[in-house]
Amino acid sequence: MFRIIVNSVFRGWKQMTRRPIYVCMMVIVPLLSAWFFFDLMEDGVVKRTPVGLVDLDKSDLSRNLTRNLSAFPQVSIKNTYDNYNDALDAVQRGEIYGFFFIPSDFSTKALSNKKPTLSYYINYAYFAPGSMQFKGFKTLSVLANGGIVSSVLTSVGMPHEMVSATLQPIVTHVHALKNPWLSYNYYLSSSFVPCLLALLVMLVTVFSIGMEWHAGTSRNWMRTAGNSIALATFTKLFPQTFIFSAVGLWIQYMMYSIYGFPLNCNPWNMIIAMFLLVVACQGFALFICSLVPNFRYASTICTLLGMLSFSFCGFSLPEEAMYSWVEPLGFLMPIKYYFKINIDQALNGVDLYYSRYYYVMLIAYCVLPVTMLWRLKKNCLDPFYIP
Amino acid sequence: MKNEEEKIGWLRKVGRMMRLEFDLIRRDEAVIIFFVLLAIVYPPLYSLIYNPEVVRDEAVVVVDDDRSELSRRFTRDLDASPDVWVKDYATSMDQARDMMARKQCYGIVYFPAGLEKEVQRGHQGHVSLYCDMGVMMRYKAMLTALTSVQMETCSRLQSEKVHGLISLDGGLVESRQVPLGNTSMGIASAVLPFILVYVLQQGMMLGISMIHAGSMGRRRRNKGVDRLDDVHAGPGAMLVGKAMVHLIYYFLPAIFALHIVPLLFKFPMNGDVVELFLLMVPFLLASSFMSQVMRIFVNNREGVFLVLAFTSLIFVFLTGVSWPHYQMKPYWVLASEMIPGYWASTAYVQMQVCGASLSQVGHMYIALWVLVGVYFVIAYLVEAFVLRPRYKAMQLESELDPEALQKHTLYQMGDDNLDDPELLEDDEDEE
Repeated sequence: MFRIIVNSVFRGWKQMTRRPIYVCMMVIVPLLSAWFFFDLMEDGVVKRTPVGLVDLDKSDLSRNLTRNLSAFPQVSIKNTYDNYNDALDAVQRGEIYGFFFIPSDFSTKALSNKKPTLSYYINYAYFAPGSMQFKGFKTLSVLANGGIVSSVLTSVGMPHEMVSATLQPIVTHVHALKNPWLSYNYYLSSSFVPCLLALLVMLVTVFSIGMEWHAGTSRNWMRTAGNSIALATFTKLFPQTFIFSAVGLWIQYMMYSIYGFPLNCNPWNMIIAMFLLVVACQGFALFICSLVPNFRYASTICTLLGMLSFSFCGFSLPEEAMYSWVEPLGFLMPIKYYFKINIDQALNGVDLYYSRYYYVMLIAYCVLPVTMLWRLKKNCLDPFYIP
Repeated sequence: MKNEEEKIGWLRKVGRMMRLEFDLIRRDEAVIIFFVLLAIVYPPLYSLIYNPEVVRDEAVVVVDDDRSELSRRFTRDLDASPDVWVKDYATSMDQARDMMARKQCYGIVYFPAGLEKEVQRGHQGHVSLYCDMGVMMRYKAMLTALTSVQMETCSRLQSEKVHGLISLDGGLVESRQVPLGNTSMGIASAVLPFILVYVLQQGMMLGISMIHAGSMGRRRRNKGVDRLDDVHAGPGAMLVGKAMVHLIYYFLPAIFALHIVPLLFKFPMNGDVVELFLLMVPFLLASSFMSQVMRIFVNNREGVFLVLAFTSLIFVFLTGVSWPHYQMKPYWVLASEMIPGYWASTAYVQMQVCGASLSQVGHMYIALWVLVGVYFVIAYLVEAFVLRPRYKAMQLESELDPEALQKHTLYQMGDDNLDDPELLEDDEDEE
């Protein structure tokens, strides 16, 4: 018995070390991609979006306004244009992402109380730059209004301290909980990188099993494990669990320690979640392999679901905004629960009690394939390979 | 004279290569999946997922310690705004926080006691919003709603207050936002046009890797020779012949993904169809040659998944769909500019969404043609100096030992010691 286990583990280990693809998929791709994400968005917030300026008024008032605009961090004035068409042309060429437009009658109208209109044109083909420009331009218009109104009010004799209360009787304070910097990196990388890892775990699991069918060695695999499917899968997948967990933990270390992502819970909550995510994804893939014992179909299903996870798990468009038939699809994937644990624990730091179901679901995925292993065994002992 | 004959011979090789490539694609259902099905299935699927475009009626709870006419009206206006839904009142912040932890709401609006009195006394009143930051779009929806209600309330209070002093109905200066291109300002119309182009590139890359993997499989089984490859074309003729076929194969999928899908899902369509088509030609050619370079990483079918895993996410982020191109570090800018999908998707977005003409994105168009040349040269070098010597090595190896290539497979599966007497003994024991 002992020799069977040793032989079996040894065989699984040899498979991993003898094919460079395993090292690539298990270590190089996840670590390189993680670094890519963290490094790409290290600035956190989209700043200095190139914008244009059309000032047809050219008065002191409008110059004052544009001086203010250049002080905003959200936008950077790349160029000024003589008219609307030139500015639009620059947007279409992709040189600027939007522009602020001051009409020619701006100062005369403003000073004679006739309500001029300031316009800002924003290219919303680019999501984040669009929002940032909106913020900058909106603030500027509010300031413009405030500046003029306050000078008018002061001129009619209103005491200075009452002016600001008149301008803005109600102030709002928006508290972006635990991510006051609105960092894109903290928000996007902490879901996309684990999701990529989940995809890789599923792919590697599927083809470490699928290759046995493909190479016609599935009987050898079973025989080495003494014809026990439980032992065969365990000895094959355990070395992978070990390496993937190590890689996952290193990614967590990069996130929370090196790049300073928020970690507002006991680190063990996330470490355990990562370990469970790896095993749950292996379980998910093993389940698919048992259900559809065909290398090509199993790998296609896992790839398809794994790739779509980035979209239907609700990382960017939240689940409640999705169509009601898309929303439940997300809950099929283990990564969805890890994502929720990450928000609950690492970001919001709420009590473990509120995340209990997510941990339970991850554990359920680890156990799930046990129900179908008999089918996998049957197929490995009596394989028919459909190329 | 001789030169001319050679030329005709070269063209004939290209022609035969094309026929072979058509045949190879038709034979392999996996290639068909990547070439055709991916382009037909993925774009509508992604579009369906993102099609709601924006977050509507995000659930918030209100903690109202003021209980005044002002706070009630503010809450009513908030509930009436399209982005936010006031789900419930909470008696205290603690209760509200608990509701948030249970995901019954994603935001808390707080009115402190004495709000209305402050405002009536001529001071500023303060309203707070606490947002869950798990998903940015929720925050954006709540922020938009709160800001617009605040502005309405402010102008209402202002006009009540300064009435008689001056006419100040909503301020002295008006401002308006004009969205360009993506007029719905939604996520689908912003993300999908990038994805549509990118799916074409990925499908082609995976399909071509798959064709190569199939050929390598045949070589392994047949002493390093691909029996189906009876053309024996030079690297140049081979690359050109294959690229022509890929171009033809992608004609319909490209029209479907770039024209029909936007039509079905009502994405912005401001581009000229003919010009978009012209844009696709260098893009597809460059993608084809780039994929021919990628074959260097593919020795078998699993290699395809490696290409998939490695490029799928990184390539899409390098297009600048999430993190804008102008804020990338120089080395990422350089990396993205080497990917045909970056130029093509940016140009496509500028044309299709913002209504640019091909001449306005001329520099991107030129960049694509430059990539066609660059990748052709690299693919030529790879074919001549890496892949062909690799096939030669396989042939030599199997000349020395006819079963070397099969043995190699067993070795990789950890079954190289099968004739190890111990293991066989075990086997007999069991039986």
